[in-house]
Amino acid sequence: MVATLLQIAEIYLWIGAAVAAVFLVWGIDRVEPNAAGAYVFRPLLIPGILLLWPLVLWRCWVLVRGENEACRHRPPRRAQHAVAIVLALAIPVILMGALLVRQNRPLERPAELLAPPAEAPAAAPAAPVAPEAAEGEAGQ
Amino acid sequence: MSVKYVPVQWNPNKYVYDAVLLVCVVLYIFVFLELGTADASVTQPINGAIVRMRAFGSCAFLMLSVILAIGPLARLDRRFLPLLYNRRHFGVMTFAVALTHAVYVLGWYFAFSPTDPLVALLTANTAYGQVLGFPFEVFGIAALLVLAILAATSHDFWLSFLSPPVWKSLHLLIYPAYAAVVAHVGLGYLQDATNPAFALLFGGAAMAVGALHLAAWLCCPAEPTVADEWVAAGDAGDIPDGRAVIVRLSPSERAAVFRNGRTLSAVSNACAHQNGPLGEGRIVYGCITCPWHGFQYRPEDGCSPAPFTEKIPTYDLKLEGRTVLVRRTAHPPGTRVEPTPLPEDVA
Repeated sequence: MVATLLQIAEIYLWIGAAVAAVFLVWGIDRVEPNAAGAYVFRPLLIPGILLLWPLVLWRCWVLVRGENEACRHRPPRRAQHAVAIVLALAIPVILMGALLVRQNRPLERPAELLAPPAEAPAAAPAAPVAPEAAEGEAGQ
Repeated sequence: MSVKYVPVQWNPNKYVYDAVLLVCVVLYIFVFLELGTADASVTQPINGAIVRMRAFGSCAFLMLSVILAIGPLARLDRRFLPLLYNRRHFGVMTFAVALTHAVYVLGWYFAFSPTDPLVALLTANTAYGQVLGFPFEVFGIAALLVLAILAATSHDFWLSFLSPPVWKSLHLLIYPAYAAVVAHVGLGYLQDATNPAFALLFGGAAMAVGALHLAAWLCCPAEPTVADEWVAAGDAGDIPDGRAVIVRLSPSERAAVFRNGRTLSAVSNACAHQNGPLGEGRIVYGCITCPWHGFQYRPEDGCSPAPFTEKIPTYDLKLEGRTVLVRRTAHPPGTRVEPTPLPEDVA
């Protein structure tokens, strides 16, 4: 499962590499006037294209169709406020949750690694008992 | 601005900003390693490799906390605005530090088996059904991926190509990424941390970020309640020369009314570069100057001076007595609107 996912990610990146090659050599001059004649900065765009090539293709489509200026001056302010508030509320929840599942409190004295018990001194070997005497004791 | 792109747009201020940042990061790592490796050895539970990964990981967390705190701080107090400047370089450096942390993790915990380190990372713990012992690594991977996307799209080309709203929407991912980092540390290192200083530093930084965002949200001006075509922007005498007042025209649109000597002009509050708050800037050499990155526009037509080509929308203004009114409907970017003279009784 994980190996398959990693393989899909690898294919995704290879497609991104192909998109990057075409876009940086040919497409960028058509959609971004300020990139004309500027070549040194282009390698810096490769990581972004590798990661976001579907977005790059979509933006190329939008720009070629001349739909660039719509809502350009309307930042997603409401979304930003909403996301920031969710984050502000999520942080204490995550922190409290993490502390609750912890098996001891952060200020508790940490568990000590106990030393193994000292070995008992070896008992002195018992005096040999004559077989007859042993039998006699058992019979009593 | 709208001239040929270069790899990195540095200027003397940015050199200083980046140099200070770099020195702080190097100092933090150095001090952490000096303090942390005193008792570390290969015979101890904490060895040098683990101390190094913790040094870079905690550094990345603190950097991300500062980055997220700068926005609300600047909104609450203008003296923090200089920190906002060049925040993208700050973000790229944070990604580099976080990536170093990840490389150390892969190179220590998952490097000594025939299994591919990435596969080992994702398969070593699959207890997704429980909170205690949850594979916290996935939160770190998700946050690192977001940081990679944000760093990779930090060049000005991406702002222009994606358009500021799309770029801004993409960069809002920083918020869930921060939550993921908090979960990554909370379910990871915090579970067996024995040093209370770390728990206090980590919890304090995260809570401060949340509190600052709440405070900035509470300080936002209220929505306009009147659905008129004209929205009041306040008393003309309250606008300092060379400065602006910001008026909210709709939930997603704000205008900045600037005073330039004895005249008033209204433009969009969103800079064409990164949608920075133009109304928090000032007029420099006759041009409205964005407080974030210094992009400039003429007050009367919203056009950048040559050779730059950025344009922002303009708005009609009128006066009722001393009260300034802004028409809700914007003119297309770059449309000239004759400046409105200030009333005679305004000093």
